[in-house]
Amino acid sequence: MGDLDDDGDLDLAMGGLAGDDSILWNEGGLHFRRQPLVGGGSRAVIVADVDGDGGLDVLFARHTLPPQLHRNLGGGRFGKLSLPGFELKAYSLALGDPDGDGDLDAVGGSYDAGLEKDLGYNFMFTHSGGGVMYYERTDAGEYVGRRLAEGAEALALLLTDLDNDGAPELLTGNDFGLPDYAHTWRDGDWAAYSPFRHTSHSTMSLDSGDVDNDGVLEVYSTDMKPIARDVATLARWRPVMVRTPVDTFRGDKQIMENVLQVRTRGGAYANAAYDRVVDATGWSWSGKFGDLDSDGLLDLYVVNGMIAADLFGHLPGGELVEANQAMKNAGDGDFRRAPEWGLGSLSSGRAMSMADLDNDGDLDVVVNNLEQPAEIFENRLCGGVGLQVELRQPDTRNTRALGSTVRLHTDKGVLTREVRASSGYLSGDAARLHFGLPKGAVVERVEILWPDGKGSSVARPQTGGVLVVRR
Amino acid sequence: MSGGRLPMERRSAGGYVARYPLLALLDPRAPAVPLLLALSAGLAAWGGLVWAVGMPIWGATTVLLAAALPVGVRKWRADLAVWGPATTVLGVLVVLQGFHSLEHVVQWVQYHVLYQPPSQSSGLISAANVEWVHFVWNWIVVTLLVGLARGGVRNRWSWLLLAWAGAHAAEHTYMMVRYLQMKQELAGLGVPSISAQGLPGFFGRDGWLARGPVTQNTFLCRIPVATTTSRLDVHFWWNTGEILLLAAAAHVHLRRQFRSG
Repeated sequence: MGDLDDDGDLDLAMGGLAGDDSILWNEGGLHFRRQPLVGGGSRAVIVADVDGDGGLDVLFARHTLPPQLHRNLGGGRFGKLSLPGFELKAYSLALGDPDGDGDLDAVGGSYDAGLEKDLGYNFMFTHSGGGVMYYERTDAGEYVGRRLAEGAEALALLLTDLDNDGAPELLTGNDFGLPDYAHTWRDGDWAAYSPFRHTSHSTMSLDSGDVDNDGVLEVYSTDMKPIARDVATLARWRPVMVRTPVDTFRGDKQIMENVLQVRTRGGAYANAAYDRVVDATGWSWSGKFGDLDSDGLLDLYVVNGMIAADLFGHLPGGELVEANQAMKNAGDGDFRRAPEWGLGSLSSGRAMSMADLDNDGDLDVVVNNLEQPAEIFENRLCGGVGLQVELRQPDTRNTRALGSTVRLHTDKGVLTREVRASSGYLSGDAARLHFGLPKGAVVERVEILWPDGKGSSVARPQTGGVLVVRR
Repeated sequence: MSGGRLPMERRSAGGYVARYPLLALLDPRAPAVPLLLALSAGLAAWGGLVWAVGMPIWGATTVLLAAALPVGVRKWRADLAVWGPATTVLGVLVVLQGFHSLEHVVQWVQYHVLYQPPSQSSGLISAANVEWVHFVWNWIVVTLLVGLARGGVRNRWSWLLLAWAGAHAAEHTYMMVRYLQMKQELAGLGVPSISAQGLPGFFGRDGWLARGPVTQNTFLCRIPVATTTSRLDVHFWWNTGEILLLAAAAHVHLRRQFRSG
């Protein structure tokens, strides 16, 4: 998601697994015009100003090939480029400026099981191999890689500042039994660390958000676990669970559930997903935070479903059909299922993003489904007042200030958001941040922590529109 | 120690029988050395059947139990002459529930020490069918306890044990119903050979208490351990409680029996 033509509307870039990639130009009123982009077989999609020329580009991960950049040439034209030096056959991608030098560095994670299936064992002996690579962009536009992990099943990558030190952490969500990775940016380099006591077993998606508005981000990862415990639901999963028992090992931190990492008073993280009943959302893919009802509290939305004849041959069409799960943040630490929001699509969702597509101040939802048309859900919850914030640093090559943290100070608390290019499962994020406001809240100021660690603030911004802060 | 009546000095007020009557009840009434040899041979045969012949653990265990049965029958016939029917049944129950508790210890070791998946942490005989084995056994326990109460084994521990065992059996009934429903569902999906065993019960992680519609948004769905621990651990603790209560009930009953002569 991003305003590719600078007309004020957020446009969409969709990756096609079986068909072409495409741009959906937002023509207003939730009408979109599709422009195919030759290519396909894509995985992660990111809209960001990758080359730092001021216009938003589109970056596609292609699984068996290095990523491809569709450089925005203006006028709806794109030029296909590779990122020089980025050789990893990445499945998942993240962009950010961890070193604060003003340009966008990249992180790629491979999906080794898929590479092995598609390319054979040989891929491991190629120069790029697999794993997690951090690519630092040089002044010359080259990407210089450093390997952070030798192997990966990286369905999700997340750059987020968990410890509020102004520098990001990098979380890698691995499929299967490979434990997730965590790295922290320390003294100018990435260092592996282990912040979590439990992680999802087959991590499909990662997102972070301040669900309790205490200024500290929580992390949510999705996994595969039946939504309901009635026998009919469990029976549809049963053959898969029986045929593929989960191996565990000494010290294994993984559990086959969604995990909500909440920082405790002692500074350690504890999994609160089970207590808050957000541990089971089906065969889950993208799970993300967003203030869908614009009440100042981040809600959760998870898309799900699986199509695989070898796993679900006992179900019609080999498909596990499940309703996507919307969960309202009740404000007391709990989330409550919100089927009344109308987001319970039965399509097999994969990527998902939330942003205000019709410029009415609330979050709409886009879901890219597998083998079914993509869906856009217009937000008709008629929630409260909101404020959207965009950051610009035109004098750098990180023009959308990815990696910044924005805090909205109100008389009823502080709301925190991060400017990111991606989260969830292979999903992009708009660099336009959405803040729903608690009922009757008065906005006092917007505080910005830029990627280089410097801060600025805007006093008493007007609510209801888009605040663009230029540095 | 040979079969027949216990020597009078052991039954005296100062003897160990009076102090630890449960030990007397568990006395195998067979010479120690041949018994140990037989036990060793049985364990060796069990290992041979499992590792050399490839027999499933539950099958080898069943063979071993069948081989040990004559020893037990001999002992319990002798017990019957010494203690009378109620106490003999109590002794049988202690031995069999002890074995059942061992079954749960093995499961616990398989899961927590050997890191086997829950579906493969099925103990010694539960792999035959974990639902039927535990459902049948727990209702046998309840039936025997009712019979023992009618036969005079009545003390505060025995009543507590009956309540505990009844609740335990009720949970197994709930699990049995779900198991049979699951079998029906799987048959309806065309995969009747898929195991329907191992669903969560009333307690434990993803059990009825934790996730049932009635308990949602109440404190009941958040009771630590009762709503968070695995089914395997839940039933380890059910049985640990059961064997401890049984031991206490038996101890009190036997002491009373001694005092009454």
